[in-house]
Amino acid sequence: MLKLFKEEPKFKFINKRFAAFALSGLIILAGVFVFATRGFNWGIDFSGGTLIEVSFQEPTKIDQLRGALAKINLGDAQITRIGGENKFFIKTMASLKKLNLQSGEQLEDIEEYELVAREIRNGIMSESERAAAAAGKIDLNNSAEGEIARYLRDKGLGDEDARESARLILGLRKSGSGIIADFSALEKAGVKNRVVSLLRSEAFLGKYTFLSVEFVGPQVGKDLRRKALLACIWALIGMLIYIGFRFKPLFGLSGILTLAHDVLIALAFILFFRVEMSLQVVAALLTITGYSINDTIVVFDRLRDNLKIMRKDNLEAILDKSINQTLSRSIFTSLTVLLTVLSLFLFGGEVIRPFAFTMLVGVIAGSYSTIYQSCAWLKVWERFLLKRKKS
Amino acid sequence: MDKSLTWKIGLIIAVIVLSIFLLYPPKDKINLGLDLKGGMHLVMEVVTDEALAIQTDMSATQLRGLFKDGSIPYERISRKGFNRIEITGVPLEDERKIKDILDDDFRDWTYTVGGSLISLALRPNIEQQLREQSVDQALETIRNRVDEFGVAEPTIQKEGLAGDRILIELPGIDNPERVKGLIKSTAMLEFHLVVNGPYLTEEAALQEYNGQLPDDLEIVRTNPRRLDKGFYVLKSATVVPGKDLKGARRAQDEYGAPAVGFSFNSQGATQFERFTAANIGKPLSIVLDDRIESVATIQDVISADGIIKGRFTIDEVDDLVLVLRSGALPAPLKYIEERTIGPSLGADSIRKGLTAALGGLLLVILFMLVYYRAAGINSVLALVLNMLILMGIMAYFRATLSLPGIAGIILSIGMAVDANVLIFERIREELASGKSPKSAIDAGFKKAFWTIFDANLTTVISAVFLFQFGTGPIKGFAVTLIIGIAASMFTAIFVSRVIFELTYGRRKKLSQISI
Repeated sequence: MLKLFKEEPKFKFINKRFAAFALSGLIILAGVFVFATRGFNWGIDFSGGTLIEVSFQEPTKIDQLRGALAKINLGDAQITRIGGENKFFIKTMASLKKLNLQSGEQLEDIEEYELVAREIRNGIMSESERAAAAAGKIDLNNSAEGEIARYLRDKGLGDEDARESARLILGLRKSGSGIIADFSALEKAGVKNRVVSLLRSEAFLGKYTFLSVEFVGPQVGKDLRRKALLACIWALIGMLIYIGFRFKPLFGLSGILTLAHDVLIALAFILFFRVEMSLQVVAALLTITGYSINDTIVVFDRLRDNLKIMRKDNLEAILDKSINQTLSRSIFTSLTVLLTVLSLFLFGGEVIRPFAFTMLVGVIAGSYSTIYQSCAWLKVWERFLLKRKKS
Repeated sequence: MDKSLTWKIGLIIAVIVLSIFLLYPPKDKINLGLDLKGGMHLVMEVVTDEALAIQTDMSATQLRGLFKDGSIPYERISRKGFNRIEITGVPLEDERKIKDILDDDFRDWTYTVGGSLISLALRPNIEQQLREQSVDQALETIRNRVDEFGVAEPTIQKEGLAGDRILIELPGIDNPERVKGLIKSTAMLEFHLVVNGPYLTEEAALQEYNGQLPDDLEIVRTNPRRLDKGFYVLKSATVVPGKDLKGARRAQDEYGAPAVGFSFNSQGATQFERFTAANIGKPLSIVLDDRIESVATIQDVISADGIIKGRFTIDEVDDLVLVLRSGALPAPLKYIEERTIGPSLGADSIRKGLTAALGGLLLVILFMLVYYRAAGINSVLALVLNMLILMGIMAYFRATLSLPGIAGIILSIGMAVDANVLIFERIREELASGKSPKSAIDAGFKKAFWTIFDANLTTVISAVFLFQFGTGPIKGFAVTLIIGIAASMFTAIFVSRVIFELTYGRRKKLSQISI
């Protein structure tokens, strides 16, 4: 039988509690420091603004992209490379004023962001693309299906033909990287020759495409921040009540402190690595609150039994014994989730990575805190725990 | 085989069959979220203050009528803010009469009398009611428009703490700009007499009145798509209220260019007829959503039918007809969130999500097999069944699978085997304490049950809060997590127990188990 420990381990965890508290305290303090100096890297869910995911046909350097944006006064937009060599996130909270643009009328926030996005598009287009667009040609890599179909209809194609061609063009974009490199690819995809030759003269293939465009008004984020905080606090209170009810109030309190620790450590690492604070990260934090208490419960379960059995031993011995007895369990339950989260982190793509990162840190922190801290807290309130035992 | 085991196996097979039935064919049964299939996600805020202001304006008009009928003199009756009315210059001796009017016909309002000044305020509960009504009405109107435009499987629902937000999800956006315009148009069609214009700027128009516009006039800009850019001075009073508009249709003007035809109900027709008869030769403007669409001289008496001319394209005519038909929005809308996910991004996300799920599954299976050997096979079977049930339940509830939802599934793979780990470790412990394999399995399941229950319940608690907090994709994550955990309670505890019984139950002498 394969075993992590040949025999029941006899580690002394409780007497290292001060070192453990100090280590965690240090990480959390460092997190607080980064929070105070640089703050979170808020995603547009919370800050409001424009987020564009752009993909280029050719490998592109960040500096190239930044240069193009600088020309439209957007040099300080946040540009993040996603995987590969040619995909980027462009994030900005800029308004029209920032771009030295004006609009004749009072615009809503989102309308302004839309104009900003249009400017960004202008900024990253090449000269030839700009010329083609100015000549009224349609960009097959950056138009919606309905727009392409309508354009073809306007150019004299029958309704059926126009719609079918548009569908094929979109299908081609969907199956590949989102960018059609060459008109000949259209022929291969089954677009009629006649239509392709029409497209060759009346359309162009942009060397980039916007994979997604998101605008979030500033009022959304304000609401969301409050809601996120409330949800986290309520979840913690929910845990406190449940554990306090299932075990003892002091167990509940220790469990919550351990949990709060896990969330704070996760937040600290989010701050250290400038991970974008978005809705999915909040989801990960809430999941951690629910999940990382699991192995703590396993230990508390055992502890409850041991408190009855080992009446003569002192508390520290009972705590250590309980942790050791459940040690391989605590490690393995976290390990299985860790494996799946790791897979998510490695293969799940850039969009879900902040979530996976937060979970990764949270699960590791949860495992560590279960072993080194959940019971250590009980040692801290030893006096109250024992008093109750006597009475 | 003993009876209860037969019964249990029957149940498991029934669950498998049911799940497959619910899930098949998966392409039709599993709804992909916008982030996976591409589409447009919009959140709009109904500016309910405006709806109240309109209501208050109507009440003020009513009040003027009542004062006139009761021959009570007043200096001015005007709306203050969006929910108050102020009456100035009323004689003190009429106070009784006024109070009677207000008590009888203005029950929705509270009022205070301070000498010659009377202030009315809308009661808070009525205000709340009106706000809710305007959101509901907006929701209904938007739904009509989206349906008529022909978007497949749209989601349109209320959202937000205050309940004044409307979430619209349109999968596979075909023509984003057009749809957005359609949804947002308040479609308030009004007719105003033109007093002066056009002017190039608003200032120029104001100058005509020495910078002080009389109360009964307003300056309105043209819609640059229809008319030359400019401003007109119009009479504020609208000739026929928008609600008297009965229908709209595609039409042509005298040169065969596209135009929008409209017709009034009988009440509107009477009013319009009377009005046009009295104003032949004067210019009339047609205003849609505070933009002048067309200005034309009244040539003849018009009653029920008319057309709006302008530089319309066919699509623009269709859109205008559609919004006019679906009715006016009770209040303006403001976009506060707009996300457009292209189709290729969604496909890419699905590929990556599947890779991650397979990777996670393989890693977990590998670990369980290496570490628990034969018992590992048991947990893997339970895990596969868990996934099947999870997908089956999702299909049954028509739950939407989003990228975070996939993350939820991947997480529940890890969490589902958690329960197995707890049970197996416990069995090992019982074995080590010298119990026979059979009673060790027994004790293992029994003792681990409550631990597993507690552990899973806490995760469900936080998932519930998450559901409550989240929007769209995040809700999807919470849902998959909850379903996954519930399914794992069944598979890890019940199913894997049955598998143990099947493997070891029939042997008379069992001295060793592979765990």
